[in-house]
Amino acid sequence: MRREIAALGIAASCESADLSAASRDASPAALFWNQARLVHHPPDVVAWPEDAEQVAALLQLAGARGVPVVPMGAGAGTGGGAVALRGGIVLDTRRLTLPLRVDLPGNAVEVGAGMSAERLEERLAYAGATLGHLMPPNDPGTVGGWLATRGAGMLSSRHGSSADLVLSLEAVDGAGEILHTLEGAGGGPDLAQLLLGSEGTLAVFTSARLRIWPRGRGRWLRAVRFPSLREALRAVRDVVRAGLQPSVVLIHDPLDSLLGGAEPPRVPQPLKWLVEGAQVEAMRLALHAPRLLNRLVDALPSSSLALLGFEGVDEADAFREGEAALSLCARAQGEDLGTATAARCLESARRASWTHGPLLAAGGFVETLDVATTWDRAEPLLAAVRGAVEGLAFVRAHFAHAAAEGCALELKMLGLAGAPAEAMTRVPAEDAEAEMEEAQQRREAVWGAALAAAADEGATISHHSGIGASRQVFLRRELGEGIRQLRALKKAFDPKGILNPGKVLL
Amino acid sequence: MSARDDLAASGAALLEEGQGGFRVTPPSIASLARAVAVARAHGLPLRVRGSGDAPGLPPDRGVLFDLAALDRIASVDPGTGISRVEAGCGVAALESAVRRAGCTLGPLLPSVRSGSVGAWLAGPTRGERGVAGLRRQTAALTVAAVLADGRIAEGRPAPAKAVGPDLDHLTLGGAGRLSIVAAAWIRLFPATPQLCSAFFCPSLADALGAVEMLCRRRLAPVRARIQAGPEGARLALAWEGIESAAIDRDRSERALAGRFPREEVPPKWVREGPDGHPVEVDARWGALRAWSGRGDLHLIGLHPGGAFAVLCLPEARAAEECAALARAAGAKVIAPRRMRDSGPGWEAAGAGAAWSRLIDALGVS
Repeated sequence: MRREIAALGIAASCESADLSAASRDASPAALFWNQARLVHHPPDVVAWPEDAEQVAALLQLAGARGVPVVPMGAGAGTGGGAVALRGGIVLDTRRLTLPLRVDLPGNAVEVGAGMSAERLEERLAYAGATLGHLMPPNDPGTVGGWLATRGAGMLSSRHGSSADLVLSLEAVDGAGEILHTLEGAGGGPDLAQLLLGSEGTLAVFTSARLRIWPRGRGRWLRAVRFPSLREALRAVRDVVRAGLQPSVVLIHDPLDSLLGGAEPPRVPQPLKWLVEGAQVEAMRLALHAPRLLNRLVDALPSSSLALLGFEGVDEADAFREGEAALSLCARAQGEDLGTATAARCLESARRASWTHGPLLAAGGFVETLDVATTWDRAEPLLAAVRGAVEGLAFVRAHFAHAAAEGCALELKMLGLAGAPAEAMTRVPAEDAEAEMEEAQQRREAVWGAALAAAADEGATISHHSGIGASRQVFLRRELGEGIRQLRALKKAFDPKGILNPGKVLL
Repeated sequence: MSARDDLAASGAALLEEGQGGFRVTPPSIASLARAVAVARAHGLPLRVRGSGDAPGLPPDRGVLFDLAALDRIASVDPGTGISRVEAGCGVAALESAVRRAGCTLGPLLPSVRSGSVGAWLAGPTRGERGVAGLRRQTAALTVAAVLADGRIAEGRPAPAKAVGPDLDHLTLGGAGRLSIVAAAWIRLFPATPQLCSAFFCPSLADALGAVEMLCRRRLAPVRARIQAGPEGARLALAWEGIESAAIDRDRSERALAGRFPREEVPPKWVREGPDGHPVEVDARWGALRAWSGRGDLHLIGLHPGGAFAVLCLPEARAAEECAALARAAGAKVIAPRRMRDSGPGWEAAGAGAAWSRLIDALGVS
């Protein structure tokens, strides 16, 4: 197969290092296998096409041979969507970086699907523009990856999700046909919206024309303390429904409110071990009692801290929107804690990810979940998910990505998976594998309980991370009879069933 | 059993009309679903009145589903800004109901306002509106759709989803071809007074350029009206939003100050409905500049790429010419119905083969 691909003029490799690199994404499961130095799902070959014609030729070849093709960008996904579960070809999109045309008068950029988020934003900043799809620092995600999962950046409250940025798409379907969706008034169903979010199961994105905006210079950021989560949610809802467009919206749970709001924060010791990082044994001790940890959080002051940020062409623009938002917050008993507290909160949130390394090294796991619902169901959703997993994992939560109708609930679930990583490196490979399987089952139990609770509450099971392999068990509950429509789309765009089999229930 | 008996057993009111056809008026979504399954099982051609298609008679030896009895407004929640409504409900009736709760559907095209919710969502606009000057977005948070076999697919109402392809888009803009809109969760805006501003521009092109510039700076008004004359063009703009209207109006006035003199026009002038023989189009800015050489122009659903436009012409014959000019410039004519364009389909995107396979896979060929 490698030779046949090379004969098409496409770079390809069967080297073990390349196969290993293409065997995993950034999902917790993949990180676990990586820690144990196991290559769980190696593809048979990795190919690096450089334009849409090469992608089409590759898919036609794979279709003729009946070989699965798994499109993969930077492997930054967290749901196992780019893992080659059935082997075959991993189609690495990172050489699809052209074209790169910034159209400032037209508020658009035309960009290859393999372009990284960071490089694209740098290029746009140089031109005085922004996409508004700001990813966390050091996120290597590609444009194609965002579009394939309907990803949302950190500023999606203002700029929308990646699906809102798309003006038109170029993609290759499973039959090897190159598609160019139309910008503007097309007839019939919107083809682009049916391909977006398909996670490589219907088509491979090769380039896109995306909406960009003039880069603002004004910034306004504040932390506001509310008596409870309910008031915080109501105030933020009123802000967005008043037509204001905050770029940053974060509503913290009591623990993070305490961590961000006080200096120094007064946090009970076992919680401190987890949120600030500690020795391996201390962390393991804490993780053995998730219910106790959750009870300690319940006993904290119930106040809720919300971060609100605005952007504007200049400082005055951002300030005016920010002050209007503050006056709405004041009506919900919100107390302005100022910019310094807001900056400290953001720093605290950033620090939270640093503790993941020690936690994983201690044999713990961190499962993240992003679900979404309407404003009236937001608080019950948090209560339901926490209640479902409180005996299995310690839960940290915040609300973000506010829109006029609702918001996302982002959860981090911390639990004990198995032996410390250092111990794992000393055991034979087959024992390590068995240990990893058990750890995975513990993680999946937490994951499953949380998703089931979210689904029962009527929430959508993914706001911006996609379905991949890990959430698809719950997709049937979300889609109901819509699963028939999904399968019809698969038959239409991938008649031979070669594209990313085993994902999104397809 | 005959198709007639099976249709009658679905619980829908049945009337024989046209050339051996039936008008079926289901009283509930479940009844609609049963009747659709019967019609498909008997291989009868379908047409839907109130779901993007509005013919008067059933097709020959086929079925016309009249959704007029599916007109219930199940809920209006002003706090969350969502209404759950059946497809046969009139858009004007829904607007009245949500107004009573302090909400609005926002400015809509006259042809949309006079039709049903189903026709709005399944029709050529796909239920799209401008949202806070940012982008165009369908009004449906999600829809309940009847599939070919009579099953009902309904998404979950959420502000954004990443759960595979957005299946609502098999129904939105589909004119009832792939699935039939039975009900929808509709996004509502808070009803607020409009804040207006008006300017006098040297020409129609200058006025359109000013509106386009505001849209590209995220300051799109909810409506704009341009009246062109031999001396120049009068431009009036209106913004809505509890807090954002005043902010966006002030920013816009700053952006246009010094370029065009201010005009004093009554605030209601920008909201006045079109007179004469209006032509409604979905157009990008380039197309608007190319064809709008005369008449009174109303813009709604404004976004950085373009707008829905209503051109008001004094003579019916002029409307035909106007529609031809619009098409030549790349715009899509939405109304009057006799002039409506289907728009470039999936074939133009290179997806003609995928469309054929989709029709087969959904069982709607």
